[in-house]
Amino acid sequence: MKKNKLIFYSLIMWSLINCSENKLEEITPEDNIPAALIFTNFSTIEATTVGIYDGMQNGDIIGGQVEFIGDFLSDDVNFVGSYPSLQQLRNFYAASTNRNVNDIWFNVFNVTRNANNIIENLAVLSSQDITFSDPNDFETFETRKQEFIAEARFCRALVTFIGANLFAHPYQVENGENLGMPIVTAFFAGDEGRFKEPRATLNETHTFIENDLLFAVNNLSDFNGIRASSTAAKALLSRLYLYREQWSEAANMANAVINTSGFSLAPDYTFYNNPSSEHIFRIINLPDDSAFGLNFDLFYNPASARGRGDLTITQDLITAFTAEIGDLRYTTLTTEDRDPSNNPARFTLKYPNGQTNESDPNVLRMGEIYLNRAEANLRGNTTIGDTPLNDVNAIRARAGLVALTAVTLEDVLLERRKELAFEGHRRMDLLRNNKNLKPENFPISAPGGNKTILPIPANEINMNPNAVQNTSY
Amino acid sequence: MILTLFMALITQLTIAQQKTISGTVSDGNGLPLAGATVVISETTTGTTTDFDGKYLIQASVGDLLNFSYTGYSEQTITIGTANTYNVRLQLNTDLEEVVVIAYGSQSKDKIIQNVSVISEQALENLVTTSSPDQLIRGQASGVQVVSTSGLLGSNVNIRVRGINTINSSSAPLFVVDGVVITDNTNTSFDGGLTGQNPLTFINSSDIESFSILKDAGATALYGARGANGVVLITTKKGKRNKGATVTLNQFVQTTTVVDLMEGLSPDEYRGFRTDIVNILYGVDIPPEVLGLGTFGSGGSDFVDEISRTGLTKHTDFSVRGGSENTTYFMSAMHEDAESFAIGNDLTRTAVRVNLDHKFKKWLSLGTNIGVTNTVLNAVETENSTAAPFTTAFFTNPTLRSRDENGNYIRSSNFIPNITALVNLNTNKTDVTRTIGNAYATINIIPELTFKTNFGVDRIISEQNKRSVDVISPGGTASLSVVTDNLHRLTNSLSYSNTFNKSHTVNALVLHEFEERRRRVTGISGTGFLSDDLLNVGSATTRIVDGGARSGSIISGFLGRLSYNYDNKYFVEMTGRLDESSKFSITNRQGRFWSLGAGWTVSNEKFFENINFINYLKLRATIGTAGNDRVDDNDFPYSELYGTGQFGGIPTANVVQPANPNLGWEETKTLDIGIVSSFFENRLNLTVTYFKKNTTDLLFQLPLPPQTGQLTLNKNVGELENKGWEFELSSTNIKNDNFEWSTSLNITTLKNTVIELDQSAAVDENGRRFIETGSQRAVEGLSLSNFYLVRYAGVNPQTGDAEWLDVNGDITTTPDFASDRVLVDQSALPDFTGGITNTFKYKNFDLSTVFNFSVGNSILADGLLFVDGIDAIGGIINVRRENLDFWRNPGDNAFAPSPASPTALNFNERSTAQLLKGDYLRLNNLTLGYTLPVSIMDKTSFLSNVRLYFTATNLLTFKGKDLDGIDPENNNSNNPLSQGVSFFTAPQAKTFLFGAMIKF
Repeated sequence: MKKNKLIFYSLIMWSLINCSENKLEEITPEDNIPAALIFTNFSTIEATTVGIYDGMQNGDIIGGQVEFIGDFLSDDVNFVGSYPSLQQLRNFYAASTNRNVNDIWFNVFNVTRNANNIIENLAVLSSQDITFSDPNDFETFETRKQEFIAEARFCRALVTFIGANLFAHPYQVENGENLGMPIVTAFFAGDEGRFKEPRATLNETHTFIENDLLFAVNNLSDFNGIRASSTAAKALLSRLYLYREQWSEAANMANAVINTSGFSLAPDYTFYNNPSSEHIFRIINLPDDSAFGLNFDLFYNPASARGRGDLTITQDLITAFTAEIGDLRYTTLTTEDRDPSNNPARFTLKYPNGQTNESDPNVLRMGEIYLNRAEANLRGNTTIGDTPLNDVNAIRARAGLVALTAVTLEDVLLERRKELAFEGHRRMDLLRNNKNLKPENFPISAPGGNKTILPIPANEINMNPNAVQNTSY
Repeated sequence: MILTLFMALITQLTIAQQKTISGTVSDGNGLPLAGATVVISETTTGTTTDFDGKYLIQASVGDLLNFSYTGYSEQTITIGTANTYNVRLQLNTDLEEVVVIAYGSQSKDKIIQNVSVISEQALENLVTTSSPDQLIRGQASGVQVVSTSGLLGSNVNIRVRGINTINSSSAPLFVVDGVVITDNTNTSFDGGLTGQNPLTFINSSDIESFSILKDAGATALYGARGANGVVLITTKKGKRNKGATVTLNQFVQTTTVVDLMEGLSPDEYRGFRTDIVNILYGVDIPPEVLGLGTFGSGGSDFVDEISRTGLTKHTDFSVRGGSENTTYFMSAMHEDAESFAIGNDLTRTAVRVNLDHKFKKWLSLGTNIGVTNTVLNAVETENSTAAPFTTAFFTNPTLRSRDENGNYIRSSNFIPNITALVNLNTNKTDVTRTIGNAYATINIIPELTFKTNFGVDRIISEQNKRSVDVISPGGTASLSVVTDNLHRLTNSLSYSNTFNKSHTVNALVLHEFEERRRRVTGISGTGFLSDDLLNVGSATTRIVDGGARSGSIISGFLGRLSYNYDNKYFVEMTGRLDESSKFSITNRQGRFWSLGAGWTVSNEKFFENINFINYLKLRATIGTAGNDRVDDNDFPYSELYGTGQFGGIPTANVVQPANPNLGWEETKTLDIGIVSSFFENRLNLTVTYFKKNTTDLLFQLPLPPQTGQLTLNKNVGELENKGWEFELSSTNIKNDNFEWSTSLNITTLKNTVIELDQSAAVDENGRRFIETGSQRAVEGLSLSNFYLVRYAGVNPQTGDAEWLDVNGDITTTPDFASDRVLVDQSALPDFTGGITNTFKYKNFDLSTVFNFSVGNSILADGLLFVDGIDAIGGIINVRRENLDFWRNPGDNAFAPSPASPTALNFNERSTAQLLKGDYLRLNNLTLGYTLPVSIMDKTSFLSNVRLYFTATNLLTFKGKDLDGIDPENNNSNNPLSQGVSFFTAPQAKTFLFGAMIKF
């Protein structure tokens, strides 16, 4: 009897143990996709490609501190907020441990990572490796594959350019022989060795960007919905060539964009945060995108519009706007409100969604392209597409200003300042034209000055034996 | 031959002639013991005493009569010619206590593991609100308890023998009646870095004892999760053959803050800001020009507006008892608690049923179930402008929260009107949690027992937030529902036998299986027509923020074998094989083991003549335990993609890189100790040396930024914690009217980073390090070494703030990155401990519990904001110290001259914010009065009435630098950023008055 009981209970125990063993395998991620499945299905491959843009929705790379740090380091914007790390940047004494600098650097490589994932892992796949839900995608796979890679290379070029502008002196300082950005072409899969790259020179960095963009020009169509197109690549090339003083290339690329059907100067300023022919490439934010990073909406809106109100318009820019009566970019795109200290101040209305953080940063738009063509033609003594006077007047007409009869470089740059204010262009426009960032002409903000570029973050210096810090940091 | 046999039989019959024996069983004081067991030895004949302690039994001359009663020493007498035998049973002394250990219990004098026990007697007179962690504080060596703040629901950092890991959690495992409870916080980020205290869900009055398992001998059986130590919480059980004891306990408590930082009054603020402007620009303007109003035009004391004296009301009720076959404990508790912060309340309601019934000689069934509902109204903490104890400090004091009509004013900047916020906004978390088990015990043969135990920990949590129009224009709301269900099934066989009277063997084999599933669902919304619309469904814009499920399983097979010879020589070995779903199939198994040995020297023959030593035992254990937690990540080894959208197109992105080799973290512990008692057990001393080495540390390793990945989950390096633990308890005075006893515990701890990952950064001395903000973990040094620019004070001649550069030279323009050095200060204390004194005089009792910490530093990061003239662009209040800025040569000022360029970076992070964290705190003072028995006897139903008064955090001795800053201030669970505070809300000072009545 006792023996039977013993056997009986032992059996119960074993059966309980055994029924539990298999359950361990049932635990799988339910809300994430394991990597092994990503490159086996066309839909997830496409989602991973579009994921690169998702990564750029972060205000720490596009549509936030990258642009506004440049703007408050120069003469368009005052930073009046409380972030100590931003105060340090404003005061030109940021250290390499600065949190914002670290976040920007990281996000350059975070987007690069997403791009390299497609560039490196998609290239080796054939249609046989993949399942398709739409047979058309199977038929056109080789074309679609090149398009995805081209989009990835556009995005990589864009963030590398953003990084080079902040962390390296402009081309003008040493003809591009100075240090630029590290060139990272690998996707991290456990081996850290390929992620301790030294910094390339600025010229090498620019060549890397140029090659990526030319690949995008050759492999993408003129129009690609909200995603990168060959037109966007051309537009970014026009900026790159302008920054490098390759005037005819800059004018030609800008001209090619202007001549592409579907893209034109919008008739008015309702294009901000709305679909429009003005946009060549922008980052679309929706209310249910989580607001990552330090974005425009949070910083540019005063408290009454649910922002921090940390960025106010400088008196210098107000003076520039009000020198002519009736500039619509001043009267309709700025407003009077109160700063955090409750003092009257002026704010931009280009990013009015303090509540939902859904304002869309304009990465490449027609206003810039006209001004790129004008400046390149003027400096290169050419009239590719049109004259600088006509291009500047096209911009002025939209702003409700009278046409000029002649333009100088200063006129083009002034128009550029007013047209592209709060969109992150001002610092580079000043530095590459050999102008001091501040109207007071402080020595510390003079072009080529050590503190006009950001430090390489301490994290990079600590973890990469090949890293080289910028002078004086 | 036949005759002889016959004669023998006659004799036998004659001797066996039975007679009636009677008597009274009483305790040491002569009070009758009802329900004591009286048995004739080696027979089944027995009886129990009645309510007057009297018994009647049939026995024969020469029989051995055995008297027993739970908690008292047994006594045996031989029946002689007398017919009446009165017996006094003496209370068991401490060393014969039964101690709850991993998967069982053991007699205290036979235990060779290192277990700190906080017994029923130690807990008897301690009362606590909101969470039982207060009961552990200062009571056990090697256990450090630090509240994150005095706010209700705030978490507590409990560390057993320091920080043994560098991943996110160094918290011990909590086990309630055998059920491992989840310490996941299930609340959203509210500024603070820690969530709701998991112990809030346990009714303190239900707790019988705590056992804190410290060495490998004790923790190895928890294998996977034992490495940080284990806190076993045992709830009260009924007592066999004991009439029902009904206990009613009620108290009220007031709560205020211990200590607060002082800001400037409105006029001081006006003077301060105006002085600065006048000095900077060489002008002479009044404050109204700066928009601060005229002197004397008033303002606000925002800290006062958001604080109050909180009132707490508590009632608990329990019934405890048992019959021959059934024991029961049932309780109910309700508590309405208010903290010192407006908007912070906690209502707790709990019921518990613990039942055990012996159905057959071989079968018992039982259950221990506690159900608790808590409704927490939370306020945000620390790094959030919505946190009252952050924002109230720095809101400009010349502002007002209400206009002349009494309506709240909307703030003109990102700093909200904090008075309106705490009064109008809602952040309510309603949690119902069931922790319980049901079990069956089957005695297959007397020596062999099978036990099956099914346990659950089920949490349903609903967090409702609503911000009104005056704070968030249009209003916002969110609702987050979390269900977190854990169940576990344990089956065990245990064997216990003694051979040849001196060889005792105990064995246990056990299998357990634990599964946890957690589901989070959330929606949020903006845009409300009216503040009276309370729920998120009424918002004009609604967003789904969550709807995810996760899970984990752990399955373990374990065994324990103990042997002792004659209660003198003890050996014990344990082993556990674990499988965890948190690791890949190839790495999911972990093997853990321990070996222990003990020698009770005082049981040796040669010890019989040494009278002043009553008990002496040497013990040692060595073994391993593991840790499988990486930031509560269920798949830390796997490369995963998360989904999202870009302009409506679905997207996928890498959220975590793969490490298929990820495996267990293992801690090996060596523990050697002496347990001793002297002078008739009046002095007890336990000394332990321990050394814990943790290898393959689970760590979110920072990656080179060029990877575009922040971290990789990896097993890295080795960490060592070693130290000494001393527990000394003494009965200093004991006579009929007066008793004074003291217990003291001290733990020293030295933490060393033996090795970090190969890829970690290397400093100028060639040592690898990991940097987190203001601290570095450095090979050869500890986990916590503050790494800061050295602040040298304000130069009395120039009025400039001065620092030391990396070479130690004075500078006014330090580089706040490259001039940082290791300043030889650590967040880890050299030693910690507690002192408890208990006094009894007639019917009065008084106890004091002090706890202390020595040798640690605190970085008060919040000072970056409230020191200096330009803090937050000069729009916020500052600490009073800032009034003392440099004006004239020769001034020994706190702050530099406003005209000095250093005034701008005076508040940069440096050693100026690094403060000595030593303290000694009177954590608990309790005074009680028990009504005399003579009064009790006059009532027909009362058996015991005790009135008591308790004060917590009454006195704190700390350095002057810590004025307004609490030394118990950890705001992070992260082992790499301990000792950093950022406007951590203050601790609570409470006064409590109550009565406990027993029927």
